Amino acid sequence: MRHINNVGLIAAGAVVVLAVGACGGSSGNGSSSPATTQIGGSATLWAEWTSTEQQDFLASLAPFESQSGVTINYSGKGNNTDTAIASAVAGGAPPDVALVPDPATVQTLASKGSIKPLDSILGNLTSNYGSAWNQLVTANGKLYGVWFKGANKNTIWYNPAEFNAAGITSPPATWEDLIKDTATLKAAGIAPFSLCTDIGWPMADFWQNVYLKTAGAQAYNALAAHTTKWTDPTVTTAFTTFGQLVGDPTNLAGGLQGSLANNYPECVDKVFPKPGAQPQAAMVFEGDFVTSEITANSSNYTGGTTGAGGAACTTDASKTPCYNFFNFPAPAADSANQGAVQGAGDVAIMLNDTPQSEALIKYLAGPQGASIWAHLGGFASPNNKVPSSSYPDSVTQADAKALVNATGFVFSLDDLQGTWEKNMWQDMLDFLRNPSSSNITAIQARMEQQATTGLGH
Amino acid sequence: MIGTEVQPTGAVTPAAAKGSKAEGGGGGWRSHLGSLAFLAPGAIWLGAITIYPLIATVRNSLYDASATNFVGLANYKAIFTTATILTTFRNNVIWVVVFPLLVTFVGLVYAVLSERIRWSTAFKTIIFVPIVFSATASALIWRSIFDLDPHIGVVNAAIQTASDWFNPPGLYPVDTSAGQSVARLASTGVAPGPGGNLQSTTSVSAGDTVELGLIGVSPTTLSTLGAQSAIEPSSSQKDITGLVWRDFSPANPSARGVVQSDEVGLPGLQLSLLASDGSTAGTATTDAHGDFRFTNVGGGSFRVQIDPHNFQSGFTGTFWLGTQSLTPTSGLNRTEQALFNVPLVDVAMIIAYLWIWAGFAMVVIGAGLAALDRDVLEAARIDGAGEWATFRRVTMPMLSPVLIVVLVTMLINVLKIFDIIINMAPGSSQEEAQTLAVVMYNSGFSGLGNWGLASAIAVILFILVVPAMVSNLRRIRG
Repeated sequence: MRHINNVGLIAAGAVVVLAVGACGGSSGNGSSSPATTQIGGSATLWAEWTSTEQQDFLASLAPFESQSGVTINYSGKGNNTDTAIASAVAGGAPPDVALVPDPATVQTLASKGSIKPLDSILGNLTSNYGSAWNQLVTANGKLYGVWFKGANKNTIWYNPAEFNAAGITSPPATWEDLIKDTATLKAAGIAPFSLCTDIGWPMADFWQNVYLKTAGAQAYNALAAHTTKWTDPTVTTAFTTFGQLVGDPTNLAGGLQGSLANNYPECVDKVFPKPGAQPQAAMVFEGDFVTSEITANSSNYTGGTTGAGGAACTTDASKTPCYNFFNFPAPAADSANQGAVQGAGDVAIMLNDTPQSEALIKYLAGPQGASIWAHLGGFASPNNKVPSSSYPDSVTQADAKALVNATGFVFSLDDLQGTWEKNMWQDMLDFLRNPSSSNITAIQARMEQQATTGLGH
Repeated sequence: MIGTEVQPTGAVTPAAAKGSKAEGGGGGWRSHLGSLAFLAPGAIWLGAITIYPLIATVRNSLYDASATNFVGLANYKAIFTTATILTTFRNNVIWVVVFPLLVTFVGLVYAVLSERIRWSTAFKTIIFVPIVFSATASALIWRSIFDLDPHIGVVNAAIQTASDWFNPPGLYPVDTSAGQSVARLASTGVAPGPGGNLQSTTSVSAGDTVELGLIGVSPTTLSTLGAQSAIEPSSSQKDITGLVWRDFSPANPSARGVVQSDEVGLPGLQLSLLASDGSTAGTATTDAHGDFRFTNVGGGSFRVQIDPHNFQSGFTGTFWLGTQSLTPTSGLNRTEQALFNVPLVDVAMIIAYLWIWAGFAMVVIGAGLAALDRDVLEAARIDGAGEWATFRRVTMPMLSPVLIVVLVTMLINVLKIFDIIINMAPGSSQEEAQTLAVVMYNSGFSGLGNWGLASAIAVILFILVVPAMVSNLRRIRG
């Protein structure tokens, strides 16, 4: 027995030495993250990510696990994250920390008292996020969430080789510039836009951006909550402005018929084709998830305005094709709305207040975890402490910068419309088929009716 | 037991009587205990996966979207008053009316044909094999066949090949179906004329040079045609010379009218020289630099015409999977259109589904044909009936039970049509093409979870299927 006790003491001593050594070693890495002491224990963590994204997320949590000794029990819930959390809260066994994909859930849970305010835990870490972001997860003056991942849906992707062929040296800064550039592209014999129609959601995303840039973030949120009616003049302005672009079939590759045949992601392939095909249009609109489709078409695609090794961009996907984006432009008269961004994001909330979950929240509020995933690609963070150098190329850097500097951040309006979301998508397709002003009036009246029935107010 | 055969039939009863009387009392259910024990697992399973969900669905149809608040018949009312649901009913009607009749007819034709030809086994195999395809696989195959792009869609490719044979496209196609027009190509020195051509705006005579500028010509076309930089031509005393060039400079995108150093000529354009009376005084073609020459034009003033067939686009593809209506409903309001449109995509999907099931109909009807009493047909022939009369008055009536089996089976099959529509109709056509099963799926399962509406649709679908099923069961029982 004594023999074993001695061995046990030596073993325990060795563990302590190793743990202290590991602590000391890893605390040198994350220079701007708060020093974490060994807490041990475990924490349950839920988020929507599965497969590749899950691996990337767990990689970004690895330093936390080794620094704090906390074991993370992660479960990816996919599209049902909100439902899963709601059921778990109702059932009395919620996870310690969760990342939810929409701020409405945060507000609901905060009002029910199911999640804990984070101001005292975070201290001055709250300054890692712009006010536009913190505002979204503040209820009754208290902060309830930290943003970890953001997605930008305010992006118009263009093929730089096509822009060069049309002599367009810089992407448009205002809506009027965009219209002028479409005219220039047409004179050069290049179709300006490949319009994604699918069951209507890309059209809704496009229209929402037009509304955001013409009416502003506040009006956008009022419309999303249906405190503004759909028959409002701001809605008419958004439709007529949108019609300047999509109402003219010569602006669209394949005209109206070709656009209606465009499912997502075929519309992206028309601007960034696979090797052997020529691009059929110069621009396509959708969120930053478009890049995964582009790089899947050919690994030769480089983000930015020059091809691999600084070579000139070509339209030939087997050589040096490029892709780039510009921020969705606001009309010159509404330049105040230029910084407003429509997008999506995942925000971390704390459901059980334990030392482990507090440490995890602080880690997620810091730049270390986000930087790791940023390196791996397919990720952008609204955290202003994440260095630009974490992102693999100029395109993702610009994408993240737009998120960080957003003067107003709004979530996808159609996802907030509940049961009439699909009707809204159909109405957008109806507009495309007939963009006349009489049809706009009819569509607005119909949308108002659908909103009232669908939302119940 | 040897004596059993010679016993009268009454001999069977003592054993049964013995069984039922042995336990005494009225029911004698204990004797059935063994049978009940064997039936129980199956019955419980049937109850769990069929009876209980049936009752639960009917109950849910009377509740709201989250299945928690009682709303009575509100879901049913919503179904019959929403325009999109009327579209759905209309599509179901189209499928139910057209498909079973079509597949029975095609199956009958194939069955009769396969009796007459020598290589009937091969024929029957080819027609029957598609039955192994799931509706999803067929949808994906036929979606590709009906693709809008003639480079992908076989149907459009075939039409394009045939159309190009008669009407070859020009070197500079202008796709009028996509909203483009020849008039928009005119930039400098030309204006659109009658018949889709472009004419020089000024008149020219012998010794003159004219420069015609066009925009909207794609860089791809230019590189394919080997366009070279535009060279201003020199004049020649008895000739009319000129240049047709692309009036677009990437270095100076807004400059028009003057030949810039990076602008190229338009090769291969066919030109005509029009005299003042409208007759054609000569023809020419532009070279790689865009230059042309009309030699020895003689006196008088002329106009240079860029012939319309340069801009012929040929057939660019029909959107078979689109919502164009076969019926003339453009003047009607939304509700009427919902009821009377027959979208083109429905036709395409019916063809795709027919491809799977025609073989089945052929095999069943073929079996029925083979079982026909040949003597009756012989008798008809002896009586002097022709081929067609025999078929119509003798074969068909004798075949009618088989035909009805096929019809009713296909009717039940098609009432719940779902996977063909989800997988074949492109996003923008989904709403115009959807059927009851599709709406039921979308309401309940894809994200929104309106269980009340989905359950109500399921109940209606069930009610619609019941008569067909009952009639089929009756038929099987004889």
